[in-house]
Amino acid sequence: MLARYNNGLLRGHAGLTIDASTRESRMSWSILVVDDSATARAQLRVTFEAKGARIVEAENGREGLWRARSEKVDLIISDVHMPVMDGLQMIQEIRKHPELANTVIFVLTSDAASTRAAEGKKAGANAWIIKPIKPELLWKAVEKALFGRQSGSHAKSTPVADDAARNIK
Amino acid sequence: MTSDRRVLVVDRTDGALAGVMEELDLLGFRVVWVPTPAAALAFIKTSPTLSLVIISATAAEDGGDEFLTEVKRDRPGLRVLCGTKPNAPPSLRRGAFPDSLIPEPFRPNALRTAVSALLAEQFYPPAIATAIKSSALEVLGTLGEFRVDAGEFLVPNQTALSDLSAIIAFSGEASGHLMLSMTSEDARSLYLRFVPGARAVPVDRLEDLVGELCNRILGRISAFFAQHAMSIQQTTPLFIRAAGSTMRYPGRHPSFGVQLTRGDARVSLEYYLADFDRSKLASGATKEVLGLGEVLFF
Repeated sequence: MLARYNNGLLRGHAGLTIDASTRESRMSWSILVVDDSATARAQLRVTFEAKGARIVEAENGREGLWRARSEKVDLIISDVHMPVMDGLQMIQEIRKHPELANTVIFVLTSDAASTRAAEGKKAGANAWIIKPIKPELLWKAVEKALFGRQSGSHAKSTPVADDAARNIK
Repeated sequence: MTSDRRVLVVDRTDGALAGVMEELDLLGFRVVWVPTPAAALAFIKTSPTLSLVIISATAAEDGGDEFLTEVKRDRPGLRVLCGTKPNAPPSLRRGAFPDSLIPEPFRPNALRTAVSALLAEQFYPPAIATAIKSSALEVLGTLGEFRVDAGEFLVPNQTALSDLSAIIAFSGEASGHLMLSMTSEDARSLYLRFVPGARAVPVDRLEDLVGELCNRILGRISAFFAQHAMSIQQTTPLFIRAAGSTMRYPGRHPSFGVQLTRGDARVSLEYYLADFDRSKLASGATKEVLGLGEVLFF
């Protein structure tokens, strides 16, 4: 675990600097939102499009996998409990594809058990986020993961862990 | 759960409290009737896990004081609810006091409220009750200043539905379901807070919002169980549009009901806990869970 914060506040990492203030991204990132709730997807779409991001939606893991392969996205935000294919299965499938191996994947879920988060890490997720979270704070996490990367650069990008490590240093 | 769900009704005739018995049956209790306080004492001695005694005002006139004194001495944990006659002082005047007094004839709502207040803890221990209420307030709190209206209450396994309802079942080391209901108007009001700037909001979106809130609240409640090393798997929401209808479900005891309000908006929550490991709850929180809005980078 490299970084952990709650509502924009650091927890337990004295030397870590996460800029959760006002930095506005000028990047036109593409973000795939995978959630069976159209309302949850709409909430993220409204927030992220206002920041200039392009949003792609999928309503279950299988569609998410297909979208991830057919669209060039910089980051995937996925729920866990979904019909057809759940979020963790989808992540495992995505990580099997070399061209998607470095795509940043956030799990956004109401499942707060640390054991489940560990399963997410094992599946290949880069972050486990407990909802509800203020969309603005989620955007800060997106910025943190993608800052410094170019739009559509998922194949060449560094994993979020490296970004976080850079911030720690 | 191991608590006894029997209620002892004490009245001179078995027909006078028929409505009471029906109401208790709806709440999931098995009702046993005896005609006198003396017969009640004999029954209590052979029923160590009895939940509640309801004694009518008429029956209490026939040795009710002695009955209550003896029960409170020998079985202090046994709850006693006593009826009172209209415009008359309670038949029980001295010695021990009952846990609750309600006027006769018993009205269903008054009886349900009194029984809920006396027995809710048997089905939903305080730690669980607090987790349910605080989880709902945490999640709904992101959409405005909600408060729990008039405390919690027991809900029979037959519930009246509002315009839009969502239900999510869960299983594992604790099992049951959570249902959330609200009117279309209240759902629309909350939707506009959830997705600012939304224009025409179709009813399926409103329904979807109810499901998403249900999912989030259940996630927080499940985090409480996860802290106590109980693993839970939850399904995706089912939606019900059936205002004015009722839904019945099989269950061995009542649900835990809470009404949450924000101004005129009202959200109804029913949490049904079919089973869980009480020993794990008693052993205290041992596992770490993530907080609301927490971001854990790997």
